[in-house]
Amino acid sequence: MNAVIQKALASNFLYQFRHDVVAMTSAAVLLIMVLLAVFAPFIAPQNPYDPLQIDIMNSELPPVWLDEGDAQFVLGTDPQGRDMWSTILYGTGISLLIGIFAVMLQAVIGVTLGLLAGYIGGRVDGFLMRLADIQLSLSTLMVAIITLAVFQAAFGAQLYGELAIIMLILVIGIAEWPQYARTVRANVLAEREKEYVDAARVIGLSRLRIMFRHILPNTLTPILVISTVQVANAIVSEAALSFLGLGMPVNKPSLGSLIRNGFDYILSGQWWITVFPSIVLIILILAINLLGDWLRDALNPKLYKET
Amino acid sequence: MALLEVRGLEVEFPLRASKLKALRGIDFTLDAGERLGIVGESGAGKSMAAYAILNLISEPGRIGAGEIVFDGQVLNELSNEEMRHIRGNRIAMIFQDPMMTLNPVLTVGTQMVECLQAHRTISDKDAKALAIQKLREVAIPSPDKRFDAYPHELSGGLRQRVVIAIALLLDPAIIIADEPTTALDVTIQAEIMGLMMELCDNHQVGLILITHDLAVVSDVTQRMLVMYAGRVVEEGDTQEVIANPSHPYTKGLLQALPQKNEAGRPLNQIPGTMPSLADVPPGCAYNPRCDHADDRCRQELPELRALNGGKVACHHAEKLT
Repeated sequence: MNAVIQKALASNFLYQFRHDVVAMTSAAVLLIMVLLAVFAPFIAPQNPYDPLQIDIMNSELPPVWLDEGDAQFVLGTDPQGRDMWSTILYGTGISLLIGIFAVMLQAVIGVTLGLLAGYIGGRVDGFLMRLADIQLSLSTLMVAIITLAVFQAAFGAQLYGELAIIMLILVIGIAEWPQYARTVRANVLAEREKEYVDAARVIGLSRLRIMFRHILPNTLTPILVISTVQVANAIVSEAALSFLGLGMPVNKPSLGSLIRNGFDYILSGQWWITVFPSIVLIILILAINLLGDWLRDALNPKLYKET
Repeated sequence: MALLEVRGLEVEFPLRASKLKALRGIDFTLDAGERLGIVGESGAGKSMAAYAILNLISEPGRIGAGEIVFDGQVLNELSNEEMRHIRGNRIAMIFQDPMMTLNPVLTVGTQMVECLQAHRTISDKDAKALAIQKLREVAIPSPDKRFDAYPHELSGGLRQRVVIAIALLLDPAIIIADEPTTALDVTIQAEIMGLMMELCDNHQVGLILITHDLAVVSDVTQRMLVMYAGRVVEEGDTQEVIANPSHPYTKGLLQALPQKNEAGRPLNQIPGTMPSLADVPPGCAYNPRCDHADDRCRQELPELRALNGGKVACHHAEKLT
């Protein structure tokens, strides 16, 4: 019986999904991009991290359909002679990696603090929420720029280049925790008044167990929905930081650093270096956001769409 | 000595300038295996008394005075951790709405095993076996299948049976049932009450039944308390109280039963409403609604005193019986 109902639920969810063109398309696009990024080493004609495969003589070649294009480089090459197509594949991977891990970090910090604030309440709540207010009053980019600039100055560009991924994940992860904390706290405040929480206390369960095992699963829906939006936000933040020269270094580019990389050449006619990564970034963000919107509607039973 | 003894229990909620007293000093005892009913209108403090026993009054409310002695321990002086071992383990509680008391995202089995493992060192396998045995005891059909069911897959009656099974899981000494059948269908109510009586008898579990249904109280319990505005106004043997109520409020309640009224006539009711706890009238809290109130009732708080085998808090009880 259990299995039957679960199947029915799943199929209802799937039914909604299959009958929503936007959701289907964005999921397909996202899936393709993730697969391309994951299997980049097998798909890409060139390894852009391997200096031996790059020839400076091939620099700034236009895409293949233009006059001077080379069949070897479909989307042209960048100023270092790297194949744009390969670099974009690897760069998408780095952008996604930073986005996903930064959001996981946000979620861990935010959910934990939100649960504590909502369930314990009182001074703990007051302290954590004021902390969140302070964090939110400083924009993510500002915090990130200051931290990364100081780090870069203190440790030098060499070490920074090696640690850039971890630094970006940490900075973006820590800067955006209040989003989760506030949402979770609001949900916990509503859930903790429900009788099943009283019942759990009456049974004699510990506070931690009630928080993480009983209340948390009941707040998962909003967590899931903000997670999609936050992944998109984190990727954009990373791109913005890279664009400002504080993100991924040129020899290990993300989409943002590729865009910046090409930006210097856009006025001299080599538009493809900036335009292709930009298009990829836009499609990626759009796909994630559309999927997030659909997920929000689909998981909210109060918002039945007329079909 | 009684298993549970509540003495002069007061629960208060601090306000800006004053304190709001939700319980204004109640006393009662419960022997092992005894079934005690607590009746009263909404807001009389019935549930508050139950929460106070388990030390679960939500902030900023607190126990202002009095003590709760259970099995030789003063419960309101125990630490949180010590109290946690009493809850569920020695004293269990059943709530009104079985729709709300089970966590919707965890299976029945998970919730039962979790409860067992919170109090005992027991393997998953043994815990499951014990849980299924308890489900069988509360007459749930095919308990091994229900063990893996989510609460939404069960009917209201089955769910309340699961809640009772969880309450019985650790063989507690006392079960506090806060209106356990109010949310259920009338036919199911009788089944569930019958089941609870049977289980309490079999396991020698004391039962505190909180309800405003006098019929249930008279069917199930041996002794009863009548509460009004945070105080006990009458206490005694259930059949005795129902047959010969001493307090005018108890009389009023019994007069209001539809059975006591003639068909086609308006129902008898007690005029007025219970005072807000923020301004309980001086003297006897019931005086504004009482036909027999005089100046003494308006000034002097009647103490709970022995009368005809029971106890009553009314200045005029002798005259009225």
